[in-house]
This record gives sequence, C-alpha cells and structure tokens, in this order.
Amino acid sequence: MRYNEAAVFKWVLIFAVAVGSAIALTLLTSGLVGALYALVLAIIGSWYGIRWSREWWRNARDRPGGPDHKA
Amino acid sequence: MESASVPLPGGAGGHAADTHQHDHHGPPEANQSSRIDRQTLGILLFIISEVMLFGAFFASYFFLRVVVNPPSWPPHPFELPVAVAGMNTAILVSSSFTIHYALEGIRKGNKQAMKLGLAVTWLLGLTFLFVQINEYVHIGFSARTEAFGSIFYSLTGLHGAHVFAGLMLLTFATIRAFRGHFDKDAEKHLGVEVPGIYWHFVDIMWIIVFFTVYIL
Repeated sequence: MRYNEAAVFKWVLIFAVAVGSAIALTLLTSGLVGALYALVLAIIGSWYGIRWSREWWRNARDRPGGPDHKA
Repeated sequence: MESASVPLPGGAGGHAADTHQHDHHGPPEANQSSRIDRQTLGILLFIISEVMLFGAFFASYFFLRVVVNPPSWPPHPFELPVAVAGMNTAILVSSSFTIHYALEGIRKGNKQAMKLGLAVTWLLGLTFLFVQINEYVHIGFSARTEAFGSIFYSLTGLHGAHVFAGLMLLTFATIRAFRGHFDKDAEKHLGVEVPGIYWHFVDIMWIIVFFTVYIL
C-alpha cells in the first residue's frame, strides 16, 4: 500500500460510496436498518484494517534490520 | 539524507566530505529508516490520534442516542436542516476532488492546475464553513439545549474546527503555490501533499458525521 494523497483519496471514494449506500438504505427503509447496515460495513472495514495491519507488521519484521530478517 | 560519510582512498572523498560538513549549518540530518517520508508519517500518526478523538465524540453521541434513549431524536420541536447539510456535504466532497486535481497537476508538472485546484479547494472549504456558521445562526437551538444540543454542537463544532485548521494549511499551501515553491518531484511538493491528506481525512470525517447526526 502506498502512503500518499492518491491512496487517501481512494479511501474518500470508498467512504463516500459506503456511506452513500447507507444513506440511501436509511431513507428507503428506517434509521434502524440503516444503522445496522452501517455497523456491518464498519465491522467489515475493521476486519480488513486488522488484516492489513497484520500483514504490514509481518513485512516490517522481514525488512533489513527487522527481527525476522535473514541476510 | 544520510549523515554519515565514508572517505574515499587517497583522501579526496574525505576532503570533499569535510568541506560538505563545514558547509552544513544546523543540526545533522536525522537518519531515516522508514520507507515513508517523515512528513507523511507525521500526518498519518496525527490522523490516527484524531480518529480516536472523533471516536470519543461518536461514543458520547451514541450513548445519548441509544443508551439514554430519549422519546424523540431530535427532541420536539427541533429539526435539523438535512437539505442544507446535504448540500454542504456535496461541497466538501467536491473539494476532495479539487485537491486531488491539484496534486495530480503538480505530479505531472502542471503548476497552473495545482494553483487552480488549491484555490478552488480553499474557496469550497470556506463556503462549507460559512454555510455551517449560517446553519448555527438559524438552527433554533444552542449547545445548552438539552444533551442533544450539546452533542450536536460538539460533533459538528469539532469537525468545523478541523475544517478551519485544514483551511489554514490550504492557505499556506496556496500562497506558496502562487509563489512558485512547489515542483514535480515528490519531495518538492510535500507542502501540498500533507495538507491534501489532512483535507481528505476532514472530508471522510464529515461524511460520517453527516450520516450519523443528520440522517440516522
């Protein structure tokens, strides 16, 4: 994953689409349904984030100078 | 970046290094071991701390809304201006596109695009703040109107403060852009990149605040 403005902009689009769908669902149904849908999205997002951070730490440990690096 | 220098055999390199060290003013350059430059790392760590701050405010909001469970939300007879806030959301989301346009411009060496993108982003940010202040003036309740008023002003006000901070960063970036400070190379336009990342964060937070406060 890159760490620059373009990568963060991609996240703006992801959030806009996700929250946009939650807004549409809320307006079409009820606040409770919208809130539950948003909760599901938040859980999926958190799970994705945890997986990404684990991979990041694994890569960091394998880097030169890291504890698991083999020369 | 590297502060250490290895003298070459014969002393020529060593002499050059000595001359370089004598020319260098101020403290030595910090060693950078990370693959990410320190300015970007700094803003990312700052954003992580900000997410926690917003998280605390959202926790308060949902505590009041779900645990305390008032009979109606917002309490009768108050109403939230959803249409105005929706328009403001569109303005702020648009500003993310314009700052991205500015960054894409400078990445390709197009300084005019960067200047235009920054100036439009700044104007959109200012419009957002103006509309929000106007909303506060006409909304009909204050921060002292029950817990609802307190949490409404806390959440939207916290976000407004972040928009103001972002606007200050954009002001400096825009002035510097018009003075010709930035260039195509990645390390020569960090002064736009870092405010750009912060601005996107402010935008994402508003999308969540809007959905939570105005729609749910």
